Amino acid sequence: MNSKKILLTAFIVVAIIQLVIPAKMIWDKERILETGKEFKFETAPIDPTDPFRGKYIVLQYKENSLQVDSKDTWVEGEKIYVILKTDSKGFAAIDNVSKEKPSDNTDFVKAKVQFISGLHSKTLGISYPFDRFYMEESKAYDAERAHIESQLDSTKTTYALVNIKNGDAVLKDVLIDGVSIVEIVKENRMKD
Amino acid sequence: MSISKDIPELIEAGIITPETAEQIQQYYKGKSGSSSNRLFVAFGILGAILVGLGIILIIAQNWDELSRSTKTIFAFLPLIAAQVICAFVLLKKSNNKAWIESATTFLFFAVGACISLIGQIYNIPGNLSSFLLIWMLLCLPLTYVMKSSAVALLFIVGITYYAVEASYFSYPITDSSLYWGLLLAVLPQYYFLFRNHPKSNFLTVENWLIPISITVVLGTLASGASSLMYVAYFSLFGLLYTIGNNAFFKDKGLRNNSYKVIGTLGTLILLFIISFEGFWRDIVLEQYVFGNWLTTTEFWVAIGISLLALYYLYTHQKNKSLRELPILSPIFLIFIIIFIIGLFSSFAVVLINLVILTISIMTIIEGAKKGHLGILNFGLSIITLWIIIRFLNTDLSFVIRGILLMAIGIGFFTANYWMLKKRKKNE
Repeated sequence: MNSKKILLTAFIVVAIIQLVIPAKMIWDKERILETGKEFKFETAPIDPTDPFRGKYIVLQYKENSLQVDSKDTWVEGEKIYVILKTDSKGFAAIDNVSKEKPSDNTDFVKAKVQFISGLHSKTLGISYPFDRFYMEESKAYDAERAHIESQLDSTKTTYALVNIKNGDAVLKDVLIDGVSIVEIVKENRMKD
Repeated sequence: MSISKDIPELIEAGIITPETAEQIQQYYKGKSGSSSNRLFVAFGILGAILVGLGIILIIAQNWDELSRSTKTIFAFLPLIAAQVICAFVLLKKSNNKAWIESATTFLFFAVGACISLIGQIYNIPGNLSSFLLIWMLLCLPLTYVMKSSAVALLFIVGITYYAVEASYFSYPITDSSLYWGLLLAVLPQYYFLFRNHPKSNFLTVENWLIPISITVVLGTLASGASSLMYVAYFSLFGLLYTIGNNAFFKDKGLRNNSYKVIGTLGTLILLFIISFEGFWRDIVLEQYVFGNWLTTTEFWVAIGISLLALYYLYTHQKNKSLRELPILSPIFLIFIIIFIIGLFSSFAVVLINLVILTISIMTIIEGAKKGHLGILNFGLSIITLWIIIRFLNTDLSFVIRGILLMAIGIGFFTANYWMLKKRKKNE
């Protein structure tokens, strides 16, 4: 009977950990949504399937590379901090990249080095941690199409709305000319 | 049961007494009880896997219409339900294997579903390897607390997938050395299973999964000096093969002796690969490129596994004569010597071919001695493959190639005929 009690206690501890860790993930993200600073990242798209997670749009960003000093060594896959500014049109732009965590009063986001190219003047490609926007399976394709069409239409701007706090980011929405892509898919369906 | 039909006849004929008949019937009753219980466990796990995967698929649908808080509740619902079921099982059904295994399997998938859905709600980037890692870490304790063998098996599959995803499939590749710690964490469970239920089906499956997993993941340690990985793999297969010949596995059939099968096939495949000159040219080149092998991970991995294999071989063999040494056991040591020779001389490739020939001949002799057709033909197959690789793709004339093929065919025929004749004589 005693060993049963020990097992049950152990199980309760395990069960609590199994609940606390996902809850902690949620809590962290909610904090970023509540208190983080909002940025708009201009996009360019593509779309695969992931066996575990249904459908989503893969997002690529226009501000995804910069020239770096060729003396510095960067490793592909390495963790970096991208320091952000806002350009004249109100979109996020890269100010600089750093290997060390910047001070708290600058706006920055954690990312990874995607690629390094060039011999003399090096270009550093950045992979942001908010490159997926999840949609219901039946809508992901339509969203993708709407996204591509707006990319081709030079009068429209497409961007991702991202909240950033202390380097951590949460992707809130993808918008075409200020309208959520979810709404656009719904409207297009009504028309059909 | 056919025997139950025969029992009245046997009693009538006076071969068995009615008491013995009663005992026989009781024995088979007990046996059939346990086999239907096994079936129950199997179907319980299957059911739990299907329900679990079903939940993941439904969740993958990703309902856009639901608010964030509703989605969050949906993420936790299956998890909490599974936890309650497991707690119930611990309290009330702790002796029922079918309950334990199916409830824990369900919880395993509920944990995965929960993290996966949170990933969707917050558009957390899809790094499959880190998702698998968190999932496996959260489920590892279940193998011990719930004493679930099914979850241990799923765990091994999960950590293998994690290592493969992180270090083979991702670009740029990431480190997956945590795999080894996780594998170590599941070994006590493996040992308990082996000690307490040596005949269980779970053990048979785990006996296959563990060596396969190690074989697959060992390659993730390669960083560039890949020829040294051959030393590591030879020693790994040598170790697996020697384990496959220990007292526990020795007399088991091939289906139940994963270690021997993987060790044998691995060793032979490697021998055939390095029986070509290309490999030996590469190691000389690599020696120039790396100069100092001491700084590579591969070097230490190779040394570590080789020492382990040597130690195991020594403890396994120390009270036995050399004649009892299983044929493939010392190959990894011979390979290390030839490898060193290969750094200085191209003679190494000749030695490897001699090793293959020796192995095949010794296998044929062993088959003949034991009167075992399977072993005999296995030896013949090795030599046939060797002849095909060595001679048939060269510029030899068709006549000579034809004669070679005929010689192989006649060899197979004579050996089998002779063996069957010998058997008949003995009968």
